[in-house]
Amino acid sequence: MSPDLAIETLGGERMRLNMGPHHPATHGVLRLVVDTDGEVVANCAPDHGYLHRAIEKIGECVEWPMFVPYTDRVDYVCAMNANLAYCVAVEKLLNSDPATKVIVPMRAECIRVIVAELNRISSHLVAVGAMAMDLGGYTPFLHAIAQREGVNDIFEKLCGQRLTYNYITIGGVGFDLHANAAAETEAFLAQFEKEMIRFNQLITTNTIFQNRCAGVAVISAADAVAYGLVGPNLRGSGVDWDIRRDEPYGIYGQLGVRVPLGQAFAGRAGRVGDCYDRFVVRLLEINESVRLVRAAIKLLPPAAGKANDPVGGFQADVAKQLRKPPKGEIRVRTEAPRGEMGYVIVSDGSKVPYRVRVRTGSFTACSIFNTVMKGIFLADVVTVIGSFDIVVPEIDR
Amino acid sequence: MTLGPAVDALAVWLSGGDPAWWAIGLAAAAVWALPLMAVVLPIAALGQIIERKVAAAMQRRLGPNSVGLDGVVRLVVRLSLPFVSRAGQDRLIGRISSLPGMSLFRTLGLGQLAADGVKMLGKEDIIPAGADGWVFRLAPYLALTGAFLPFAAIPFAQNVVALEVPVGALYAIAVSGISVMALLMAGWGSGNKFSMLGGMRAVAQVVSYEIPVGLAIAGVVLWCGTMDLHGIVAHQYNGSWASFLGWNIFQSPFLLLLACVLFFAGLAECQRTPFDMAEAESELVSGFNTEYSGMRWGMFAMAEYSEMILVGAILSTLFLGGYQSPIFENVIVALPVWLETLIHVGILLAKFTTVLVIMVWIRWTLPRFRVDQVMRLCWLTLVPLCLFALFGLALTMLIPSLVMPADAQATILGVAYGRLPAMPHLALGLVGHALVWIVPLALGFLLVIAARRKHGRQHPALTQLTGGA
Repeated sequence: MSPDLAIETLGGERMRLNMGPHHPATHGVLRLVVDTDGEVVANCAPDHGYLHRAIEKIGECVEWPMFVPYTDRVDYVCAMNANLAYCVAVEKLLNSDPATKVIVPMRAECIRVIVAELNRISSHLVAVGAMAMDLGGYTPFLHAIAQREGVNDIFEKLCGQRLTYNYITIGGVGFDLHANAAAETEAFLAQFEKEMIRFNQLITTNTIFQNRCAGVAVISAADAVAYGLVGPNLRGSGVDWDIRRDEPYGIYGQLGVRVPLGQAFAGRAGRVGDCYDRFVVRLLEINESVRLVRAAIKLLPPAAGKANDPVGGFQADVAKQLRKPPKGEIRVRTEAPRGEMGYVIVSDGSKVPYRVRVRTGSFTACSIFNTVMKGIFLADVVTVIGSFDIVVPEIDR
Repeated sequence: MTLGPAVDALAVWLSGGDPAWWAIGLAAAAVWALPLMAVVLPIAALGQIIERKVAAAMQRRLGPNSVGLDGVVRLVVRLSLPFVSRAGQDRLIGRISSLPGMSLFRTLGLGQLAADGVKMLGKEDIIPAGADGWVFRLAPYLALTGAFLPFAAIPFAQNVVALEVPVGALYAIAVSGISVMALLMAGWGSGNKFSMLGGMRAVAQVVSYEIPVGLAIAGVVLWCGTMDLHGIVAHQYNGSWASFLGWNIFQSPFLLLLACVLFFAGLAECQRTPFDMAEAESELVSGFNTEYSGMRWGMFAMAEYSEMILVGAILSTLFLGGYQSPIFENVIVALPVWLETLIHVGILLAKFTTVLVIMVWIRWTLPRFRVDQVMRLCWLTLVPLCLFALFGLALTMLIPSLVMPADAQATILGVAYGRLPAMPHLALGLVGHALVWIVPLALGFLLVIAARRKHGRQHPALTQLTGGA
């Protein structure tokens, strides 16, 4: 237990509440030690580690391609993006030496964008749905989950899994698209857009919801950058930074990602960087992802006979390269739904990595809890956690 | 018909002569309390099944649809026919289970209630070590008392009421205050910081919202001139086929406003979303309910549904004509007494159920308020609205006495027991109507427009997200 949680730090009239690790709010096993003065929070110390599975240590023990399933578990809500981050890092490592260069087929790149953006949609649906549910809107949460089932059905046909896909591999993707994939995806997106309009009419523009979230936990742009926030949390505070547009990987540079920013959407009571802004930024990103999926489907080249065909294939041959990769240290970051997912990979030339370090957005978001929760109501703690979209597997790995 | 003589007779019979104190108590329980529970408990159960089915419909799922009577049938057959062979028993069970009504029973989810009840009874009775013994154990029963007692004064039909109370409206609101004590006891007695927080919030909320409820009831009492619920219901009878026009809610826009205030303040009294911050906020698990398991928790749930139905009952009786039908009430009162009573009871139950469905609908649609927003809504919005409505109502009642002869006033404002038709203020003429209806409604519209202007325009991104509507 860290020294700042010692009982002597409790002031006169304060009460120490332990929220978690068994949380009714579905954010995983996160423990928050909250000191309150009646209804007002005075101090909030997150205590994590309840979901630590030593994934980075495992990275030092398994071979390069064997680590891909473990990346699913780093963030199981957006497993495709987690896969993608690691695979992009290893491909950059292989490309650092012309002898082991790997060209990911164009079709595989397009499929990667399709599945990554679909997974961004489903991850954001969980985020906004869970935040609504924490605030008492049970019905919009279930509508969001029902839409997520559509994405899960597509993925199930694609790779057999509904949560931890192990689909994006080093050098491409695991399987080619199934027979009707593009048509199915388009049909899903068509009905999904209509459903999102109804979802927004139900909860996003609801006055009670706006009053709960507006002006709560305002994070200025300078603070957001100083505390290392990433993703929608950063953009909700008005900072214009998205790795898909500013340091593109794959075909994101061709697709041109438009980035929504927080603009005090709640009207007079709202501020830039409050909980409502982060909520609405995620909804706008959902719309942007729908557009990106459609654009990627349009760019999709037809399937070729061979799997390693540089245009129409879905998986480059990397087995030989991965047995003797170049030595070196590679830093890569990609834009996962929860923000920047960064990998630092150190290779010593063997078929097992020397070090795999995962940098996730939720972990650094925990650092701002204490600052942002001073002086808010106890009821707002739940709002703030929901607006940050924390998932504990990312924090603990 | 009062039940008093029945109680006396039973007490005398029980104690064989001059009734002893225990005989009176037993007789009162048997004549008043047990029939009342036999009426209210099924309605509470109905509330539970309506909640689950309506929630499921809104969330596009089926809700409870798989608990049937199979288990009970199996048990009964096997126990009562042990001499029949196993195969024979199974055939009989199959025949009974495939009767036409069985699958309907299952799909409607009626068996779910029995299953829930059995589950709750069978759970381990956990009492936390830090709990305050008697306080913890007594709280659920007090909550039930506070939820059931007000039903005694509600008239279910012309002659069907458990307790003849000349001040029925006052009795109902006064007695429902017992549940406040139950909340305090539950929160404190659990010995748990979260429960105590939840209990304090709940008490603050319930006590605050009793003010708008009381003021709304006061408005009706002012209009009808009596606190007797029979009299209020009779005041809403206008002797024509369009009997809904006699309902209090249509008599004046101020009464319409008071009815809406009563509905929302009643929602807050029952601690239903959007006012359930004391019990369902994620950090409180269940607020004061947290440490209660099994049937103790079941009592709180029953008390909550009973209170919801109570709010429906009070709303119906005071504003929606009580047990009277919206159309052709003059035909119904001419029917034989037994038929008329049956129809009236059914109509009142239908009104309860409608209000209940609306409450459930609101619960599953809206997110919840924060504690300071709840308090602000009560003291800064509902109470001023109530006071404004009371003032307007009093003005409305003053106008006839200023513009009409004295003998006509008696019929307009007069009210009596029985079926004296209450005349709406047709005698006021066009000017009177304009003053009484159009001016308040115009004021209301202006207020709404000013509030919207103050709130500001919606951000274009939100307009785009909601389909450009």
